Amino acid sequence: MYEAIDISLKAGERFIVKNVNLAITPGTFLAVVGPNGAGKSSLLKVLSHEQQRYSGSVQVNGMAIRSYTPKSLSLIRAVMPQHSYLQFAFSVEQVIRLARQAHRSAKAVNDLIVEEVLEVTGMQKFRDRNYLTLSGGEQQRVQLARVLAQVWEETVYPRYILLDEPTSNMDIAQQQFMFNLVKNICPRNIGVMAIVHDVNLAIQYADNICMMRNGEVIDSGKSFDVFTKTNIEKTFCCKVNIYHDPCNNCPFVIPEAEISSMPKIAINK
Amino acid sequence: MELILRIRDYKYPLIITGLAILIVITTLISLSVGAVGIPLKEATIILLKNIGLFSHFPVDEVYEVVMNTIRLPRVIMTLLIGAALGISGASLQGLFRNPLVEPGLIGVSGGSAAAVVIAIVFGSSMATTLPVWIYNSFISIVAFGGGCLATFFVLRLSIEGGRTNIAVLILIGVAVNALTGALIGLAIFYADENQISTFMFWTLGDLGGATWDKLRMAAPLLLVSTVGLMFFSNTLNVLALGEADAYHLGVNTEQVKRLVIFLAALAVGVSVSLAGIIGFIGLIVPHLIRTVFHADNSLVLPASAFGGALLLLISDIISRTIVSPAELPIGVVTALIGAPFFIMLLYKAKQKREL
Repeated sequence: MYEAIDISLKAGERFIVKNVNLAITPGTFLAVVGPNGAGKSSLLKVLSHEQQRYSGSVQVNGMAIRSYTPKSLSLIRAVMPQHSYLQFAFSVEQVIRLARQAHRSAKAVNDLIVEEVLEVTGMQKFRDRNYLTLSGGEQQRVQLARVLAQVWEETVYPRYILLDEPTSNMDIAQQQFMFNLVKNICPRNIGVMAIVHDVNLAIQYADNICMMRNGEVIDSGKSFDVFTKTNIEKTFCCKVNIYHDPCNNCPFVIPEAEISSMPKIAINK
Repeated sequence: MELILRIRDYKYPLIITGLAILIVITTLISLSVGAVGIPLKEATIILLKNIGLFSHFPVDEVYEVVMNTIRLPRVIMTLLIGAALGISGASLQGLFRNPLVEPGLIGVSGGSAAAVVIAIVFGSSMATTLPVWIYNSFISIVAFGGGCLATFFVLRLSIEGGRTNIAVLILIGVAVNALTGALIGLAIFYADENQISTFMFWTLGDLGGATWDKLRMAAPLLLVSTVGLMFFSNTLNVLALGEADAYHLGVNTEQVKRLVIFLAALAVGVSVSLAGIIGFIGLIVPHLIRTVFHADNSLVLPASAFGGALLLLISDIISRTIVSPAELPIGVVTALIGAPFFIMLLYKAKQKREL
């Protein structure tokens, strides 16, 4: 289990994250949804231990996260950030290989893992390409491959993947491909948490949902239980209608179009 | 570009070996040219004699004296400084994830220069009261101290909440450089012409002061920092992803930042104290390696050390011969060869991308 217990994070006097409890169970996919500025990314930074000035505690496989060294933690959890900051012309394969840096595994093991993640992400053809010349969606696929390579080996302990909007630059086909892939790696004793903007993608693939607004958890639990009309409208401040999608056998959410004239600009002259 | 990326790991030793061979050839040329011309064959034999080979071979005594007391220490110092500057530039660029960073940014050169000019202008009377062994390397010690002090300030001020903030560090580096620039200007304002020319000559760099005594003190420091930085190639590769990602991948980022900055400051500080400010090597050599071969730091770091040594040695040969018997300041030569070459390279890279 990867547990956040009563997490609060402040910026000055303002709470960015307030009394949040959350658990990632190995073998399942947890999606965190909420409007912009809900504190999702900040919560992810607390969970990944990048942000260390919070109150509350994070437990990883039964141990406090603060008791791990960066190296030992990196064997258990991998993080895919929203943005990549690579400035140098590394090849795709090299970027993925960086994931194996902390593991002291044999070269043959690393080679095999790199091959496998290149294959599952469909990036084999791109292996020698300069990462900087790839499109945004392709770069995200490389980043996912890197994250997978970090925790790919089967181990006795459960591993975790934290994804911050992994499909933000992807077209609809790639989005489906990515989420399907992420869902399929859960059975490898991996727990996944992803920040997801597209509510319907979350409904289609996530096992559990955590809905956040203003730094607080509005509701969490099984996907279909959380995605109610009231919950969504309360969280996103947006009128929606929920229909049943017979093809995927799941609900789908459509926001009501807001067609009205531009709000009056009230400036006293 | 895509083709270059295809050069895989197994080619790296080849590139390094190639550079090493070029260094050996250039070293022999450097040993043989100068006011007293020593034929290449004699130069090689004397060099081998020093390591105990060919000891029965007769060679001209003048050649041997010139080689062993003047040229050999100079060549060794040039190689060590070139390597130290090249690798410090490469590792700081890697650490700051910015290809435009040069070692001066962390305040070393500025701090050294300010300390030196102040010592030249205000401290010369005081210095004569010092013991001889300190007086002889007075400028070197002052330069090293000033460089360390400035770097310490930059580093100390950029730590917030136990973490080194790189963006703040760069800004403080700029501010410290402006401050040292002002101090230099102030000292020059009070200086007489003699002092100004001493300082100007020092700022442009001078490899002529090499002696075995200086090398005995400086060589271990230069070697430790150069070799030490080479161990960071993999870590710097991971850091290229960004600090947060590197942390997620198990890198102790704080420790790495401090160690790399410390080693680079040591390398540059010692270099500046020996030979003054030699610009451009630290900026240009890593760039050349990245553009011509690859951005992988496990190549860029060692190749920058070798390339830096090679470029500085070639520059030194030119500086000694072109206006012989006088010497051009080394900093002028490195920039004169380096800058046009660099511009040409960038232009070609740009053209290739546009095609």
